[in-house]
Amino acid sequence: MKLWSITSYGTTALLLAASLCLGFSSKSEKTVPDFHLKNVDGTFVSLINYPEAKGFIIVFTCNHCPFAKLYPPRLNALNEKYGKLGMPLIAISSTDTITYEEDVYSKMVCKARAEHFNFPYLFDGDQTVAKQYAAQKTPHAYVIWKEKGQWVVKYNGAIDDNGGAPENVETPFVANAVEALLAGKQVEVPETKSIGCQIIFRTKE
Amino acid sequence: MFHKNTFFGWLMMGLLSFSASSLHAQYNTLWIPDTLSGTNFDLTIKDTFAQLTPGNQTITGGINGKFWGPTLFFNKGDTVHMNVHNKLNEATTIHWHGFHFPAVMDGGPHQVIPPGTIWQPYWKVTNNASTYWYHPHLHEMTMDHITKGIGGLIIVRDDEEAALPLPRTYGVDDIPLVLTDRDFDAQEQFVVVPYGDSMMVNGTLRPQTGVPAQAVRFRILNGAIERSYNIGFSDNRNFSIICSDGGLLNAPVTLNRYVLHAGERIEILVDFSGQAGQSVDLKAYNASLPNFVAGSENFPNGPFANYLGKKDFNMLHLNVGAPTANPVTAIPATLKTNVLLDPADADITRVITMSDSMGVTNPTILGPNAFIINHKLFDIDYIEYEVPMGNTEIWEIRSTSGFGHPFHIHDVEFNILSINGAAPPPAQAGWKDVVFVPRGQTVRFIARFEDYADALHPFMYHCHIVLHEDEGMMGQFVVTDAPSGTLESVEDAGNILLYPNPATDRLYVSFSEPEMQAYYVRIINALGKTMYMLPQPQLQNGIDIGHFPTGAYFLQLTDEKTKKVFTRQFIKTGEKH
Repeated sequence: MKLWSITSYGTTALLLAASLCLGFSSKSEKTVPDFHLKNVDGTFVSLINYPEAKGFIIVFTCNHCPFAKLYPPRLNALNEKYGKLGMPLIAISSTDTITYEEDVYSKMVCKARAEHFNFPYLFDGDQTVAKQYAAQKTPHAYVIWKEKGQWVVKYNGAIDDNGGAPENVETPFVANAVEALLAGKQVEVPETKSIGCQIIFRTKE
Repeated sequence: MFHKNTFFGWLMMGLLSFSASSLHAQYNTLWIPDTLSGTNFDLTIKDTFAQLTPGNQTITGGINGKFWGPTLFFNKGDTVHMNVHNKLNEATTIHWHGFHFPAVMDGGPHQVIPPGTIWQPYWKVTNNASTYWYHPHLHEMTMDHITKGIGGLIIVRDDEEAALPLPRTYGVDDIPLVLTDRDFDAQEQFVVVPYGDSMMVNGTLRPQTGVPAQAVRFRILNGAIERSYNIGFSDNRNFSIICSDGGLLNAPVTLNRYVLHAGERIEILVDFSGQAGQSVDLKAYNASLPNFVAGSENFPNGPFANYLGKKDFNMLHLNVGAPTANPVTAIPATLKTNVLLDPADADITRVITMSDSMGVTNPTILGPNAFIINHKLFDIDYIEYEVPMGNTEIWEIRSTSGFGHPFHIHDVEFNILSINGAAPPPAQAGWKDVVFVPRGQTVRFIARFEDYADALHPFMYHCHIVLHEDEGMMGQFVVTDAPSGTLESVEDAGNILLYPNPATDRLYVSFSEPEMQAYYVRIINALGKTMYMLPQPQLQNGIDIGHFPTGAYFLQLTDEKTKKVFTRQFIKTGEKH
């Protein structure tokens, strides 16, 4: 049989492995801009509205995805715990609402009420913010941290390592990252693969 | 569990404190897919997840379920209506593998179902009793979508088979076995690769199942991305092959090993009489696969490296229990008198070549190492053959490829005439739709293309190793009933009118010319999303729009004869005025 040239999978794996091995994270850290998105309560939310925040947990999620549906209680718990410590959680829905009527704004409002979201649930209707973050799946979590007036991505990937059975979670990736940052340490695992439904970006017509 | 990229895999496992306990885990109970029968079939394809390994759930694609779809039961002679709803967040197709029907029903790369859209093909089942399957066939995405687990079996029944004393209690003495293998990454997610490290049967890792102490029928599909399986039992017992892809053989063929290639099906009978309390393993004896057959390689690293390469491994642990109330205990001596096609009746012999591309560039994965048919990569706009309807044809597949390829043709079942000059082995002497073309050899088969002419919509022929297919080892043919270029001019194509408009419950189409007929209808909403794809719809009773949300829609109708496309707006209202 013939051999593939290096695939994107291999490249990602090597980069990830290298960063894990050597524990460096500063060289390739990504910064993300602020946004201005409509919340389910009708107000608009930006990071600048939180002058006290040291950082944020940003979670790209949606209504329809079966894997995303497993997480609302855990999102509430993360916001409950870390919001007070200056790391509030903000959820953003960026899925294509033409494909998924379940993800339209009015149904986001219903979802936030039904699941008693204690965090903002923002509608990224034109998918701009998801593209800026390069969000892949729902849910896809980012832990960002304020450094010299910029928002630096310190962790991105899965929320934890067991969607269906929260009691069996061995590594709560997001919580670990937040704890490390609050303790002034490096995030040990700065990237994992986000797991869930692919966020498909609409092509401009 | 083993990870393809061992550097990545073991590193992650170490860091995340994964244990290797799954290596020693007990058997899991073999999952038997649910069944659907009748003439109307609702299939919803969706993104979902399944607990396949002990850790995190794996994101999968399911049809009505979590991984792999229901087994559909068709009766020969029935007209089956499929209601396929794509609830993935990407386009896909569903191909009904092995079936004979109009090309617009086939579900190949041209019948793209956008996300959110419902596709409603229908056809009269003329296939023989056998085991068929359905799976995605979107060009360049087939490997991704099959890896997710999208697919299912179809069991056709007919009077001839029903009259035979064969086991047919589904899940009891008639057990479907879908063979495949998958790779899991450190987060328990599927890796899209040609060979997996973990064998799966019906989506179950390390499966076991009980069988009654009597003759048991296994319907075996090779649903792998690439691997062939050299099937046998751990006690080297004999089994009898009774059915190949397209129907019963004349008589059972008794063997103790049989190599099943990607896309192929066999039905076998195994006699467990008097063996209650014993166990035996169904194995893949892949250490003795011939060279250049998928799975015979043992690359230590690189993208084709895999734990199961060139090894013998267990597929299914079988525990023999008590017999059922009315067991089948004997294997019939004869099954059917197949009337095969006569090479003397062939209208034409077509020579098809399969080769290594040797530098024909491909922008995707295999690059200059892609495999090709007739010296070119697949081009969705190029039709290689126009087969006159009614033709009986010999297809001579000449391979100069350095690897063996299972060749599959849509629309027809065929009879193999020769493999490298010799008559086919008895287990392949009946009706087939996949034939393995060994490295550098020539296979000849004969098929009849008797009906369903369509000059526009092609059928496919391709290598059923889906990596090779996705990378361009595929071609297209149409079946025509008139020489090409004789379509009537579009200017004389008449007109259509939708009524009533606005409409509440049913929408009717009126044609200005009596010979006009709907070849394809699409219903598109005001946002431009295709809601329905209706191939060759029967419009006498209108289209049911009662459940549509109120608003403006477009109906796009393609005329059968002229292929002219008419687009008309209609309004759906909630209440009658």
